[in-house]
Amino acid sequence: MRRARRFNINGILVNAAALVLVLSYALPYVYLLMTSIKPAADVQQIPPSFLPAVVSLDNFREVLQSSALPKAFASSLAVAVLTTVLSLAVAVPAAYVATQYRRRITTLFLLFALVTRMVPSVSLGVPLFQLLKSLGLLDTIPGLVLAHTSAAVPLALLLMSAFFEGVPKELEEAARMDGCTRFQAFRKIILPVMIGGIAVTALFTFITSWNEFLYALLLTSEATKTAPIVIAEYNSVYGLAWGAMTAAAVLYSLPVIVVTLALQRQIVGGLTFGAVKG
Amino acid sequence: MSAIELRNINKVYGNSFHALHDLSFDIRDGEFMVFVGPSGCGKSTALRMIAGLESITSGELRIGGRFVNDVDPKDRDIAMVFQSYALYPHKTVRENIAFPLQMAGLPKTEIASRVDEAARTLELTTLLDRRPALLSGGQRQRVAMGRAIVRKPAAFLMDEPLSNLDAKLRVQMRAEIASIQRKLNVTTIYVTHDQVEAMTMGDRVAVMKGGVLQQVDTPQNLYNRPDNVFVAAFIGSPSMNLYEAVLNGRTLTLGSNSFEIPERVFEYRPSLNGASNRQVIVGVRPEHMNDATIRPSSAEISAPVTLVEALGSESMVHLNIDAPWVDAGDPDTVVDIGDERAAVARFSPKSTVRAGDIARVAVDAEELHFFEPVTRTSIW
Repeated sequence: MRRARRFNINGILVNAAALVLVLSYALPYVYLLMTSIKPAADVQQIPPSFLPAVVSLDNFREVLQSSALPKAFASSLAVAVLTTVLSLAVAVPAAYVATQYRRRITTLFLLFALVTRMVPSVSLGVPLFQLLKSLGLLDTIPGLVLAHTSAAVPLALLLMSAFFEGVPKELEEAARMDGCTRFQAFRKIILPVMIGGIAVTALFTFITSWNEFLYALLLTSEATKTAPIVIAEYNSVYGLAWGAMTAAAVLYSLPVIVVTLALQRQIVGGLTFGAVKG
Repeated sequence: MSAIELRNINKVYGNSFHALHDLSFDIRDGEFMVFVGPSGCGKSTALRMIAGLESITSGELRIGGRFVNDVDPKDRDIAMVFQSYALYPHKTVRENIAFPLQMAGLPKTEIASRVDEAARTLELTTLLDRRPALLSGGQRQRVAMGRAIVRKPAAFLMDEPLSNLDAKLRVQMRAEIASIQRKLNVTTIYVTHDQVEAMTMGDRVAVMKGGVLQQVDTPQNLYNRPDNVFVAAFIGSPSMNLYEAVLNGRTLTLGSNSFEIPERVFEYRPSLNGASNRQVIVGVRPEHMNDATIRPSSAEISAPVTLVEALGSESMVHLNIDAPWVDAGDPDTVVDIGDERAAVARFSPKSTVRAGDIARVAVDAEELHFFEPVTRTSIW
């Protein structure tokens, strides 16, 4: 009896600690959400209140009626989708070859991918600006896609390598014995087996591009401005449109949150996929 | 015709490791050939080279008379069963078995009928719509077999297909694989490190060690007429007991024991005739050493008993023979309990010897094996 009671207390303590952690993660976002549904007059009140006195959707109406935000959303979506497709097209086969046909050079290749992840984005901004300028791709969707892909490919490569480490070599060999060429074995057997890992990598790549701010700031101006830039511009020399800014930020975060919640099982499964060989 | 010919096959890896040395032999059409040997002997490498999954450094490989050294695995018309089964986890049993037929471009109706036929042969009919994750080890093994037999290939290659099964299922599947092979009469190469599997399944067995072929022969011949010390010790369980001995005329001296060798032995091993203090390696199988109090013999030795394992139908008696023990060179040898040099004798269960006794052991001297101490080859 005493034992059962002690267990319950432990359980309550663990749950309380988990709740504190979740709240500390979620608090900034909840505050953003609360601010976005406050009436304009309450947004900048001093002292600030956490909960809105009245729920108002005025901020959302304002940002949706402005011409800049929907266009920026479209740019963000186009850039993120194209970056994801391009990154996966490069990283998935590269990671497969690097892990399944291990040579000294493939190990160096993966190490180099890791190193490029460590380089601060800001230090690559200027060379990227020069490169895209010389190619005539400044302030274009393809230009920003290329810039984002350069950042996303190493991430996708490292994630996919971890997933491919868990794939037994015999699977490809069995497919080759069953009549496949190496490429057919990859396409018909390995890719379908890896679909969970590819989905996780696609999601992380998409989020990397969707949330990217620095390259978008440096490499775009009016034509292809992405949503993070437009959201930041609510704070300008003409004033701080705090309510509109939070509403735009909430709208911008929703697709990512919805997709993440929908795929949470695959994401957690995918992240631990390579940990233990089955 | 699907005979497989290996001529002076060598495999040297990039790090200069010479995995296979001049492998040469023929596997006849419809024959069940077993490659057996300890870990690292090159048996799986040889199989993978025949499959086309490993390149051939030098030599010639022919399947059905066709030179296939550089032919892609998919074009060799051979099917392979892997140790891990390598089933496609995203496909059902039906789709797994049908896959090689789809790749061959067969019509759907023929694929369906051949999958059903294979499923009936392997008793998989009720499992056809399940995914591999929902199958037991034995069922997975059957699906892997199904994927191989459905193609009706020129040859089957099997790489330790039973090693992941428990002992009971292994015995059952061993018989099933052998029976399916006999029924289909397809040339089969089966790799195993288990000499019992090799002896019970193979029409012929190729014994390998350190990338070198030691002997290819029928299981009976390997057991009765081993070419060298390694084959003698590797084939048979418990292993043949091997000791250094001295032959002088007809008298064999084994440590502190001496006994006469029967005349018949010199008839079928004529090169032993006229020996004068000749050093030899003598081998005796456990079943040729008996309790002299039950089965007396003119060739008798006495040795202290270190351990008795009573198995009901027989007793394994471990003896400490005082002659120099010979290491057969099997890297997988399990050191005998107590003393790696102990000889093992297969005594009748009626024997009353106990650990600590000095046992009188009757040696069936007509069944002794003799080997050259330097070359370690059999003396005939």
